Amino acid sequence: MPGMSGRMSTIVKAKVSKLLDRAEDPAETLDYSYTKQVELLQNVKKGIADIVTSKKRLQLQEAQMQQQIVKLDTQARQALSANREDLARVALERKQNVQNELQGLDQQISDLETQQQKLIDSEAAMRAKLEAFRTKKEVIKAQYSAAEAQVRISEAATGVGEQMADVGMAMQRALDKTEDMKARAGAMGELQDSGTFDDLTTLGPGKDDIDRQLEQLSSGGAVDDELAKMKAELGSGSPAPAELDAPAAEPAQADADAGSETAEK
Amino acid sequence: MIVRIFSEGQYRVADGERARIDELDEACRRAVDSDDEAAFTKTFAELLDYVRAHGELLADEELEGSDMMLPPPDTSLDEAREEFTGEGLIPD
Repeated sequence: MPGMSGRMSTIVKAKVSKLLDRAEDPAETLDYSYTKQVELLQNVKKGIADIVTSKKRLQLQEAQMQQQIVKLDTQARQALSANREDLARVALERKQNVQNELQGLDQQISDLETQQQKLIDSEAAMRAKLEAFRTKKEVIKAQYSAAEAQVRISEAATGVGEQMADVGMAMQRALDKTEDMKARAGAMGELQDSGTFDDLTTLGPGKDDIDRQLEQLSSGGAVDDELAKMKAELGSGSPAPAELDAPAAEPAQADADAGSETAEK
Repeated sequence: MIVRIFSEGQYRVADGERARIDELDEACRRAVDSDDEAAFTKTFAELLDYVRAHGELLADEELEGSDMMLPPPDTSLDEAREEFTGEGLIPD
């Protein structure tokens, strides 16, 4: 029983000889293969460009989410200043959710960057191989027209054929990868377009009540902490214009309570 | 002998290394047969490393016919199985 290599060699050799036997003139076959591979390489380049576009789109979304975080934070402070702790809590919960989503987006962007760099490297390697193939192809064509020993030509053609199969496979795999990455980046973009990131208090696709409640349990502590911090900041700082009315009401209420207490005694 | 690692390049390896390479190659096939992903990943990496360590990388323009051909380093178990049962990884 042959190993993996034996099986692979059989397939490649069969494909190469099929390719070379197809035409009367191997020169024609070689030219055709070369043209086809140049086209494939163009597709790989286009794929890389598409990924750059997808990445830029995600980065734009990232910037929007960062703005949203600042906005929600400001809203929470305003609500707290107006003694609306309930509203402040909602704003902070949303902020927490956007921050979580932002982390996911960050990961996606850095994945895209890694993949993009790998593709750029392999595109350069493929271009070098293709250029070597082009040079060798011309040599073989010259040998063929000079009617040199058939064996020698076919031997050289085998090497070239293998290289074609190799570059062809590498490009196919690179193209598959770009498609995969575009799909992933696209899915992330659709999530944004559908408003999943805008209104995070409603249920998103694939999330049920239990997920949501569990998330709230884990983010609840963070929200409480932030709320306490914000209260402390607002308490120690000079009052903002919006909170002038609210604190004035509190001492009055406290006096009234004190008054009723003393009255009872 | 010449060993080609797809998407990587061709290596000139001393004929005496053949036995060990065949052994590792055979172990890869067994891993594919028994659907053992961990064994495949480990053995395949070992096989490639062995060729790299004991071979001399040919220049891009040498292009010789290979005595052995190995799939690309990022081949998954599923793709390796395709190599045995289907049309293989080479596009038409």
